[in-house]
Amino acid sequence: MFSAPDSYPIDLPTFHSEINLPYTLTPGRAAGTFLAEVKNRRIIASRFASGQVVAPAQDFSSTDGEEPEAFVEAPHTGVLTAFTRVDSQVIGFIRLDGCDNDFPHRILANLDDLSIGQRVEAEWDDGVEQSVLAIKGFRVVPDAPVGAVKPLAATEEALGVIPYAMKLDYEHAYGPYYGRMFDEIRENGRFMGVRSPGSDVALLPPREIDDVAHTRTGTWKACADTGTIRGCSIINMEVYGQTRKVPYVYAEIVLDGASTRMIHVIEIDSLEEAKEKIKPGTRVRAVWTQGERKGRVSDIERFEVIDE
Amino acid sequence: MGRHVGIVGVGQTHHSRRRTDVSQAGLVREAVDRALADAKLSMEDIDTVVVATGPVLFAAVNQPEKWVVDAIGAQGKSVVRLTSGGGAGFAGALAGYYQVAGGFSERTLVVAYDKLSEGQLQYSISTLYDPFWGREFAVGIMGFSAAYWRARMDVLGHTEEAAAMVAAKNRKNAIANPYAHVKKEVTVDDVLNSKPLCWPIKLLDVPPISDGAAAIVLSSEKMAHHSTSRPAWIRGMAYCCEADNAPERSLMLSEPLALASRQVYRAAGITNPRRQFDVVEVQEPYSCFELNYYESLGLCPPGQAADLIASGATQLDGDIPVNPSGGCMGANPIGAVGVIRLIEAATQVMGKNESHQIKDAKTALVQSGGGWANLRGCAVLSA
Repeated sequence: MFSAPDSYPIDLPTFHSEINLPYTLTPGRAAGTFLAEVKNRRIIASRFASGQVVAPAQDFSSTDGEEPEAFVEAPHTGVLTAFTRVDSQVIGFIRLDGCDNDFPHRILANLDDLSIGQRVEAEWDDGVEQSVLAIKGFRVVPDAPVGAVKPLAATEEALGVIPYAMKLDYEHAYGPYYGRMFDEIRENGRFMGVRSPGSDVALLPPREIDDVAHTRTGTWKACADTGTIRGCSIINMEVYGQTRKVPYVYAEIVLDGASTRMIHVIEIDSLEEAKEKIKPGTRVRAVWTQGERKGRVSDIERFEVIDE
Repeated sequence: MGRHVGIVGVGQTHHSRRRTDVSQAGLVREAVDRALADAKLSMEDIDTVVVATGPVLFAAVNQPEKWVVDAIGAQGKSVVRLTSGGGAGFAGALAGYYQVAGGFSERTLVVAYDKLSEGQLQYSISTLYDPFWGREFAVGIMGFSAAYWRARMDVLGHTEEAAAMVAAKNRKNAIANPYAHVKKEVTVDDVLNSKPLCWPIKLLDVPPISDGAAAIVLSSEKMAHHSTSRPAWIRGMAYCCEADNAPERSLMLSEPLALASRQVYRAAGITNPRRQFDVVEVQEPYSCFELNYYESLGLCPPGQAADLIASGATQLDGDIPVNPSGGCMGANPIGAVGVIRLIEAATQVMGKNESHQIKDAKTALVQSGGGWANLRGCAVLSA
């Protein structure tokens, strides 16, 4: 067994990565009805058999899991039950009159002017539909009359799909092994792995502990930028996030001098030709990008088949 | 060895390409209601709950169990959420099995789901790749699955035609599955002539993208009789892992599946899987995987999967029917699939399968897996 060395934090550059994803979310019947109805300036709530009223409407009771017996209209007024300030805006919980839950939303007031138990009233945003932000927020109205939950004859049809997007930014720490590998790619245009214990072949990407022997790996070794395909497929479908034009080959390549695979692409002219020419065992060579290297795997633009 | 554990109730949704009438939580509720009804129980009878889903990025709700708990009335119970890619449902069932076998629960509800219509499936799976090393060129799960198949093609003879036979078999079987949403018979030639997506994977080798949920109730021996006189007993269950880029990782047999099946067969007294199993359910997200599983599960020796499918042995009327339910080809709500396969196998040995009941089925094999093809598991169920 190995023992981890003593270590201490050092500030080093990080590896930036981004995940950008579009979604089409289904709110379900209750939330879908609430979202459809905000354009009519109605706050839709669920009334359960227990007598509880929950706004915005929910498909299931958080007390017992039961489904609501009816949708009802909640009043626009209520009482402030909690508040705090985040990112220079005030958010809080509002217990709408006649309802049994706390509705989280913006509070349109200064923190200093707020106290628990104050009467509040919804302020609507004319420009917004299909969102809980159609209510701009709740403002303090000390003499707001106490509203009542009203029955509903009919509602708009629930929204089936809500567009949504997530953009996630990450700063990954390289660690000493990846750090050196990417430094070598950027500075010297070479892929360096570390030797498996008692062997001259390199683990690439390099790592501190050998996967098989579970012992410390050995010394650093430069791998060639030529190699052999272990597995490959011909990508002929367009999927979100792709950076290459189809068709092209997705290949798992073992570089000469390494024992593990790297993933890269090979450009092709035609699918039929690629089926014949590119297969496990095919020899390939890296084609580096022109211009300044950035210290990423994409400093290799692609691989190409070595015609022998 | 722990206590005996049986599957005493099952339920799944009618899977579809897109459910715009229910949220994720509503989808889960449907499967749970059916499983509890099948087990003649209510939530009050359940001690612990396991919620299993695929990666959060599939549908953009982090820690969805908080939402699910409200929808199924599980407030106040012990609830854990578990995720393990495509094998999430199976891993969830394994966690539930441990709870009951270990004596910590008499009855555990396992519910697994994914609502894949909501996000970008292949791109989300690409985020499984190392962000430093490979993600830039990843093509979801399909790119590497096809690459592995290509490697097996030359060495193990897993031809395009053999995989097409798998696709045609499973698609045909799915027609009678009341929960499947792709029900169209195709010929081997149709598969071979369908559009290459990630060649050698072609359009008809690929399962649909689905919204769906599935739930099972696991019970101790002591309590099982309240639900059924014929539980599906779990005789062994394991889920193993291999390193994703180790120098000795083989692209041929699935090493973790071979390890898992060795453990499970020993526990269940299986020495000749081909003869001892009456029916098999495997999670074959692409048709080529089923060939790989024949060999990794020991249904045939390495290199003979193409012969096995060609012989007709794995057809409904063969000596070892594989995927009478149609497998993933009928529906593929990824996180739920491990539980769906367990349900299809459990109902076989309980004698109440709704797609194609295999006559007198007593012992069934279930396979599931996920991750970067590095997580594979199996279970043996018997009446």
